[in-house]
Parts: sequence; structure tokens; C-alpha cells
Amino acid sequence: MTLPAWTREPIVHFLAAAAALFLYFAWVGEPADPASRTITVTREDRAAMALQWERTMQRPPTDAELDALVEIFLREEVLYREAIRLGLDRDDTVVRKRLANKMDYLAASMAETAVVSDDVLAEWLAQYPERFAPDVRYSFDQMYFAERAAAAAALTSAPTNGESISLPSAFENASRSEVEGRLGRAFTATLDTLEPGSKWAGPVASGFGWHVVRLRAREIGKAPTLAEIRGEVEADWRGSTEAQRKKDAYELLRGAYRVTVQK
Amino acid sequence: MALNGNTDIAVVYHTRAAPQARLVVTHPRRSVLTCNLFLPHAVPAYRKIGGAAVKGGENGMGKIKVIAAVGAVAVVLAAGGYWLSRPAVIDPAEVAEAEAAIALTEFPETVLWGDTHLHTDNSIDAFGFGVRLGPEDALKFARGDEVTSTTGIKAKLARPLDFLVIADHSDGLGVMRRIYDAPRIAIRDETLRRWYDMMHESPQQSARATAELISAAGAGTLPEAMMDPERREETATDIWNDQLRVLDRYYRPGKFTPLAGFEYTYQPDGNNLHRVVMFRDGIERTSKVLPYPGLTEEIGGLFDYMDAYEQATGGKVLAIPHNSNLSNGLMFELTDAGGGPMSAEYARRRASREPVVEATQIKGDSETHPFLSPNDEFADFGKKGWDIGNLTLSRAKADPMYAGEYLREALKRGLSIEQRTGVNPYKFGMIGSTDSHTSLATGDEDNFFGKHTGNEPSAARANAPQNLGTQVGRFGWNYLAGGYAAVWARANTRAEIFDAMMRREVYATTGPRMVVRFFGGFDFTDNAFEGNWVRAGYKNGVPMGGELVDGGKAPRFLVSALKDPDGAHLDRVQIIKGWTAADGTAREKVYDVVWSDNARRRPVNGKVPAVGDTVDRAKASYTNSIGAPELRAVWTDPDYRAGERAFYYVRVLEIPTPRWPLFDALRFDMTLSPEAVDDAVAQERAYSSPIWIGPPAR
Repeated sequence: MTLPAWTREPIVHFLAAAAALFLYFAWVGEPADPASRTITVTREDRAAMALQWERTMQRPPTDAELDALVEIFLREEVLYREAIRLGLDRDDTVVRKRLANKMDYLAASMAETAVVSDDVLAEWLAQYPERFAPDVRYSFDQMYFAERAAAAAALTSAPTNGESISLPSAFENASRSEVEGRLGRAFTATLDTLEPGSKWAGPVASGFGWHVVRLRAREIGKAPTLAEIRGEVEADWRGSTEAQRKKDAYELLRGAYRVTVQK
Repeated sequence: MALNGNTDIAVVYHTRAAPQARLVVTHPRRSVLTCNLFLPHAVPAYRKIGGAAVKGGENGMGKIKVIAAVGAVAVVLAAGGYWLSRPAVIDPAEVAEAEAAIALTEFPETVLWGDTHLHTDNSIDAFGFGVRLGPEDALKFARGDEVTSTTGIKAKLARPLDFLVIADHSDGLGVMRRIYDAPRIAIRDETLRRWYDMMHESPQQSARATAELISAAGAGTLPEAMMDPERREETATDIWNDQLRVLDRYYRPGKFTPLAGFEYTYQPDGNNLHRVVMFRDGIERTSKVLPYPGLTEEIGGLFDYMDAYEQATGGKVLAIPHNSNLSNGLMFELTDAGGGPMSAEYARRRASREPVVEATQIKGDSETHPFLSPNDEFADFGKKGWDIGNLTLSRAKADPMYAGEYLREALKRGLSIEQRTGVNPYKFGMIGSTDSHTSLATGDEDNFFGKHTGNEPSAARANAPQNLGTQVGRFGWNYLAGGYAAVWARANTRAEIFDAMMRREVYATTGPRMVVRFFGGFDFTDNAFEGNWVRAGYKNGVPMGGELVDGGKAPRFLVSALKDPDGAHLDRVQIIKGWTAADGTAREKVYDVVWSDNARRRPVNGKVPAVGDTVDRAKASYTNSIGAPELRAVWTDPDYRAGERAFYYVRVLEIPTPRWPLFDALRFDMTLSPEAVDDAVAQERAYSSPIWIGPPAR
């Protein structure tokens, strides 16, 4: 069966949707325009305040507490309205910045809530593999010496245990960040230049002094598949597209302005 | 277009740059949805509409506007339908599974580094100061990624942090809600049109658009929205829930741990009684509550809130007081919060709810003050500028206030109160943090991004006056680079970090990452450092934060301090003892336990001479030609008296190093003021949590 040609026209789709919307909101109605110097705290308002209290404190407010909430609300509301009347919101840096930020937020919220397909993430992972590469892992033994000469001597002489310091003598499968945290940047950089094997090497400098090192293994982790790190890739994708979306949204708005900067 | 009182849909379409429409839908439960439609290229059948829109942009706007708007609405309805039923971003079960997969070591083996006190653009004051980075950027920065600061400077930590608590002001969220609603009004039908028209008219007109819109809304629509507390609650919930979702997304058990929190900002008359509130739990529990407001609520209310959270959800929550140095004597009073005598019940609540206190951060150091500890030559660190008044400088400081402000004195007061009431309200551990309002958790002197965005790196910031209220008296160089919290945990998970804080197995540093161990017991031998001494420490004693029961024998302590592997050598390790004398008064004494270069540094009148100073002021550099990479000792209290209540904590001092103003002077080729130069070199330090000793509990 083929539908008549007019049913494929976008304009018809739009009109149908518009009619549905119109009927719905004609039925629900528009909100009342509140008089500007009338504040009515309805039963529903009070109920909502009580609800928020309960949400925070995990119990309903007492009558006195609810009255206090209403008083706080009224005070804020009155001052807020008077401030608006006096135009205190204009030329206020905080208000201005806040509104700008909210506009940014509007643009970014789509990226926050959109559900992303595996295809998009797979492409993202392929595009930025370095962001998801696992840490290099090291297994090694180390002995510590305060003086370089002592460390050098230990390489050639009979086995010793090195000098006493509160550092592990053996690291098993330790990540690069862990090694760097314990022994510092200089040591870790040198570790990358050593050949794994059963020989002692050094002296290797660290922030503490000197070390002789037996690097038993250095494993460069295998690139993870999307299935293993989907959450991580998704988080990264979200973060990056949010920035791009804010930028795009701004460019769109910016394009509509004629800007003259007088020098 | 206003759909009803609760849901708004608006269409902004725009034809000059590219034929596309922009949709904005707001719904009270789901905040805001927007998307951009690229009409001509999406579907062939729509191509002519896109084309018409382009043309219409030049000729007849009205007709095309209707077509585009209606089409947009249809798409939005479909998207919205899905959106309202969308799943949570990370399934709590997945998080729990990842946590369960992390192996726990036998005892805490590595120390975790973090910041429990970071503000992002969700804090109204941080925002007011201009920060544009949000929680995501904050988490990325803390885990080691490079981000661009609000002022456009590339920022990266030399070494990543292991955990982060984003602690935005709860009142920030509250105040923000109000203004938050304004853009929603702005995209209502009339106001949208006004905004849209003004945007197209002239730059001058558009510059006024926002303010005019708020104003117009204020006279009519805005109060309607503001009067709906349910909607306000929803927006706060959105911000809180968004944040909780982001935290879960960045949580990598074993590697990087974001924890949920907020700052309770109670400050009667500008006297700082702030607490960071930190949760142990993930979104399935934390989303059941909202952050507790602080501006008008006294501390008892916060404790009620914490009790209620734990009872209702089965979760756990703790509070961390900070900047007691700006409380004008109110943080650690001898009385209860109302000024009455301290009851055992109030004391119990303080102790159980506040297991740790921030000892040091950007707004000064709160360990002790020269007024309270005149014989302590290291007590003046981080005091200049901060000890002249309260947070906003609305009240000046008077001498009697100091005792209620500094941690060493508070620990002493705790002993006195315990002697009187049986409960010690001030039995807390110590951590450091940043309290940065830039979304950048850095406590490093050579990487200081300022208290807030207005104080990000610039040639002027070190010398310029910098105050947090309308009163003046403080300068840029008064601000410290901030500190870090060091946590002895068995693994890097929320539960392990939180539990370590509850048992106070934590310590504070002013930025450097020195590794500090501290065990107390009665049976340690002189050669206790042989073999696996850490295991022996746990087996034969208690770690920092622990308690010993007095058995008539002097306590012995194992103390070990290993320098920051990428930092300065250590000058000395001290143990600070506080106790209650027979007459009931609290006393203190600082013992130099072990120090570097001891061949040339013989104690004079019981004090070890200064270590020296290798700092080259012109180059902001130092050399490790003095000091020691590690200092450790077994120490017995020489002044022990049976039956007395006492605490002992460790203070580790580095050799002198340049502070951030010297790095600034070098970087910007500027000259520091004489006062700033006087304070440009300091001995960075660590404070351990105390170990207490006393008679068996009654």
C-alpha cells in the first residue's frame, strides 16, 4: 500500500504536530499573570516548601519550622522584587555573568543528556588512542645509597642490601604514576631508558639520593577495546563535545551580531 | 512559546550563517534541552524547507518562521519523549562492581593525595569572581589532564591527585536557583521575540537585551516563576544531580576517586564557621538529599541533617571545619554553640561528626599562633594578614579570640572539656586542602592559580590588596598556595578514603608530598625500624588518629618522614604534646625529635638551631645541599606522668623554599613589595593527626 503523496510532505507533519500541541495547551491553559505587588503563598506553595524541607532533613517540618520557611521565602521574594524594580540587576557583573553562563549551559545540556552510540565512541577511541592508553607497568628491585660512589661500588662489589630508607625494595607490576609518586620524576624517566633483564644497573638518581636498579619487566599495556572502557570513552566524549557545543552555540549567536570595536 | 506553567518550548532559528533552527525546551523536572537542527542537509525531503528558510530570512520571515517553528516542535517532542525516560548515565551497580574488584592491602600501604575543598562555577561567589570552569574541568585537572583556566592559561598538575571533593557552597546553589530561572523566562514567547529582535537590531540594543529582559520579566513573568518553590527545588536538584552524575562518570576505583560534598557556609557577622560536608556514597544515596543551606542555619541543624541522611539512606557523611583562623574565636569554643555550658551530648556530636579539621589552606594556616605558642619559633607560618580579623574583616581580632581559633589550642581545650564532662568534643585529625575557587585543585607553589579567578597568575596579584569583603587590610602575598590532604587508605575507593578520615588516619601538608608515618604504643624497641616496621607498627601500636589507654607506662612513638621525591629535603621532625596538668590547665610543649645535619646542629637551650637557607631569591630556586631525605626515630615521652590526658602530633618541616610570589616575580619580571619579600621564603610542613592517651573511658 502506498500513502498519498501529501502524507509525505513535511509541512503536513508539522501542521499535524502543531494542531496536537494547540489542542493540548488550549485545554491545559496559560498561567495567570501575577500582579506585581501581590504575593500569594498558596497551600500548594507551602506543601512544596514542606516537601523540600523533607527532602533535605528526611522528616516533615513542624508548624513553626514551616512558618519560618514561609517568612524566609517572603523576605527574599519582597527584596528580590524590589531589587528588580530598582533595576539593581542591570550593570551587575554577577547577574550578567550568571546569565551568560546559563546561556552556555543551555547549549551544553544537550551534550550532557544525549545518548551516544557505540559507533561514535569507537570512532572517538580510534581518533584519540593516547587518551585511553593504559599506564606503563614496571617490576623492579632497587637499593638505595645516599652517595653516588657507594651506589657505583655496589654495582661491582659483593651483593649488599643498600642503605636503609622507607622505600619498598621491590615493586611488582607498579604503574608509572605509582612509581613516579614514590620515587619521583627523575627516577622514573631513567627507568624508561633501562633494558629489562636480570642485571643491576645504575647509579640512578632520585630525589632521595642514588639507586641501583634491576628492572625485571616493563609492560606497555595493550590498547583497551571499547567494551572494556566504554564508560571512560563516553566521559571523555561528553566532556569534549560539551566544549565544542558551547563553542558552536556561541558562534551561532555571535554570527548574528555586527560588532564594532572603536579604538 | 509557553506551553503551560511548567514546560516551555522555544525556537530560535537563524538563517544568516547557515540555515538551521535552534530549539530550546525547558521542563521543570529535566531542566533544559536544546538542540540545533540543520534543516537542509538532514533529510532530502526537508531540503526545500531549509532552502525556503534561507530565502525567507531575506524575504518573508513570517511564513517560514511558522513552518520552521512547527517542524522544530515536532522533533523536540520526539526527542523530549525519549529524554524524559533516559537512563542514568552510570548505573550504580556498575560502580559498585568496579569498587568490589579493587583489592584491599593488608594495612594502608600507600598514601593517597587529594583536595577535599574545591569550588567550581556552581559556587555563586566563585562564579561572581569569574570562574568559567565547571565540575568536569575540575575533575580532569585533578586527575592530571591539561585544562585551560578561565583566564586562558594552560594548567596542569605536575603530579595528579588521587581524590577530589567538589565542595560548592550549598547557598551558592540556592542563590543561583533564583537567577537560574531568568533565562528560562527569557526564552518564553514574548521575551524570546524581544530578545531575538534586539539581537538583530544593533550591538547597543543587544547589549541591553539581557537586562531589559530580566526587568520586563521581573514586572510580570518572573515573579510567577520565582513564586513556585517546587520549581526552585527542582532546579537545585538538577544542579546537584548533574554534579553527582558527573562524579560517577569520573570515578575510577583504584585510580581516581571523586567524592560528593558541599560547603556549609555559616558565618554569623562574617565569623567563619564553615564546614565542608563530604559523603561516602554514590548517586543512589546522595541523590536522595539536597545540600543543606548554611547562611541562616546553626550548626545543630547541620548535625540533624547528617543524622537524618544516615538514617534514611544507610549512607555515611562527615563534616570538616575550616578557616577556624577567621572565626574570631567561635570555631572551638569552651561553651556550646548557644554560649551555654558544653553538654556531653553537644561534645559527642562535634567529635563524631567532625573527625577531621582543615589545618592549612589558601586562606592561611590554623595550626597555632605566636600569641598562643610564644615559644614555638615556627608558629608564624601563614598568619600574616589573616590574624587581623574575621573572614570579611567586619570585626577586628582581639587577643582573647585566638584560643578558639587554632587547632593546637582546640586539641588542648578538648582535653580540659573531657576532664570535666567525660567527652572530648575536639578529638580531630588534621588535613590540608586548597579552598580554591578556580576549579583548579593545586597547592603547589610553582603552579599557584590563586584563591579565585580574579587572582589567577598576573604581574599585579602578589603585591595588590586582596580582600574578601568590603573592608581592606589583606594583600595578595598573604594568601598561601594551599595544602593537600594525605590519607592512609588500603585502596583508592570512596569507602576507604572516607573510613580513613573517620578513624583520623590522615595528615595535612602545605603542598609538598612528604610521606609521614606515626605509630604510638608501649612496646616498641629501640631497633623497631628493622624489617617490616610498618606492619609491626600496626600490630604493636596505633597509627596516627588512634588512642592509647594509659597503663602507667610512658608511651613510645615510631615517627618517620620521607621527603617529597620531587621536593625539598627535610629540616626536622617535631612531636608536639598537649596535656592537662594536675591543676586542670592545659599545657603544650614542642620536642625536636630528629633533625638533619646533626653534626653541626647541637641543641642550644633545648632548641635545635635553624637549618640554614639555600634559596636564591632572584631565581626562585633552592638546593638540597642541607637537610635530609628521610628522618625517623623511636621516641619516648620524657615528661610522661601517669594518669594525665595528653595528645601527641608530628610536625615535619622542610628546609626553606621559595613561596609563590617569588615564582611570580621571576615569571612576570616584577618587583615584590618589601613586605612580600620578607615573607617570600617559608618552611613548608606536614601536620599529622594526633595520637591521644588517657585513662580508660568512663
